[in-house]
This record gives sequence, C-alpha cells and structure tokens, in this order.
Amino acid sequence: MTDRSSIHASFTIERTFPVPPSAVFQAFADQETKARWFGTDEGWEKLESAFDFRPGGAETDLSRAPDGSLSGFNVRYYDIVEDERIVYAYDMSHDDSRASLSITTIELEAVDGGTRFTMTEQGTFLDGIHDAAGREEGSNWVMDQLGAFLTAPA
Amino acid sequence: MTDRATIHASFTIERIYPVSPATVFQAWADADQKAAWFHGPPEFGQRDKTFDFRVGGSETVSTVPPDGPEHRFSARYYDIVPNERIVYAYNMEHGDVRASLSVATVELAAVDGGTRLTVTEQGTFLDRVYDADDREHGTIGLLDQLGAHLAAPN
Repeated sequence: MTDRSSIHASFTIERTFPVPPSAVFQAFADQETKARWFGTDEGWEKLESAFDFRPGGAETDLSRAPDGSLSGFNVRYYDIVEDERIVYAYDMSHDDSRASLSITTIELEAVDGGTRFTMTEQGTFLDGIHDAAGREEGSNWVMDQLGAFLTAPA
Repeated sequence: MTDRATIHASFTIERIYPVSPATVFQAWADADQKAAWFHGPPEFGQRDKTFDFRVGGSETVSTVPPDGPEHRFSARYYDIVPNERIVYAYNMEHGDVRASLSVATVELAAVDGGTRLTVTEQGTFLDRVYDADDREHGTIGLLDQLGAHLAAPN
C-alpha cells in the first residue's frame, strides 16, 4: 500500500519586466514565442506536445528526463484577458504517478518602466512525488528564463 | 472596462460521518447517490447534468435559480483512490461569466465511530462574481446534505 499524502501549498512570484504588458502576454500566448523560454532544459527529450491557448484549450508536454523518467505537464486554460490575465489549471505526472494539480493565475499590470508580473499558484501535491518548495524554486527559475528572454536583444 | 479582480483563497472543512469510508466514497462515486445530496435549494432547478467519475472524466451540472442566471459547475477528476481520496479541478460560471477555478481534495480516513472526511479547496475567484466566504458556507451546506443522506434509512 502506498503512503498517501496530500499537501496543499501556495506561493506568489512577483517580477517587474522592462517591456509592456502586451509583450509579456505574447510570451505566453504565442506557441513559438513561449517555446523560446519555457522548458528549454538541456538533455530533456520532448516526446509529445500540444498548444491551444484559448479558454478551454489544452497545452501538454511529455518529456523524458536525463535520468530516463517521464515528466508530464498538462494545462487547461480557463480565463484569458488579453494583456491582463491568464488563469489555468495544470497537473504534473512523474512516470505513471499523478503528482500534482494546481491553479495558476498570471496578472499583468502596466507600471512605470514596464510590467508588474504576478504569478500565484495554489497546488495540491500528492504522495510526496513533488514538493511545494521545489515547485516554487522551479517556477522562479522558469520566470528567470522569461525575464532573460524578454530583455534579450531582438 | 470591467473591474478585474483575482482573489485567491483556501479553506478546509472536516466532518465525521458514522459510516464506513466505503459508504462515504460511494456517495461521491455513484451518480444517483451524488444527486441525492449534491444540489442547491429545492426551489432551484438543474439541467445539463453529466457524470463520469473516473480519472480524466468530467462532471457538469447547471443549477437554475427561480430568477437570474444559472450557476454552472464543471469538474474534471484528476486522482481517485477508492475509499481514500478524490482530487478534482472545477470551475464555476454565472451565466456566461467565468467566475472561479478551484482544486478540491476530498480525503477519507477510518476513525473510531466512522469516517473523517476532509475537504480542502484552493480557489481563484474572478471579478467578484462569487465570494470565497460564500463558497465555504455553500460547501458546508453540501456536506450537511451529505451527512443527512448518509444518515437516512435506506
């Protein structure tokens, strides 16, 4: 029998990016643009992917990690307000195990010098497969990637 | 322009029911049993019901007040462990307006005298259509109805 556990956690990441809200929004909304900063780890093999950025649309990514394990990421977009807000549910799997189910809200606001970016994630982490602190750390790393992409010379 | 707002909230509700975990689980897993307790006030109607209780399956129901827009519930089951755990994402619309997206975890544990049920909801509430406190009170009402259903003679 598995040792069942359900850990509930939430975290918020705030950044200010020196570009307008529309540029940040496009980095999430456009498949090719998103591919340039999201999930570009060396050594990972992409096995399946789909991208349908609209309310009710799904995004999926199944990859093989360098250690051979399978990592699944499945998004379902719920609410999209252009240049302002993106709300979605997503789950993650590790090999055949369901690892987490989360709600993520991304809010964009024009401020002096660019865009205030706020990401809030509320997650349920199952059976100790992934951990909430690790998820927060990983999400910060991903937003570092976004920031580097947005500030790179065109 | 709409007054956008995104409120994040979570709550946990615990109940002890004087029946086995298997009996409580069946009240969530069986379409007829769930219909007996998962509903609004008697003067409200229901329509567009679907029920597919399995991992990846969905459930929908629209609750129709005597006047005013309907409240539409759409769930997608993520993880189901018989007699132990149900994890699902669900969203609510009020009329055509997207109003909330949540993760709900239902955990069942055998205890002296019956079953301890723990519901944890992590929700994102959009544009003040619904209120997090009202959601908690509404969920308490549903769990009261579940308790009455479980205590009713067959």
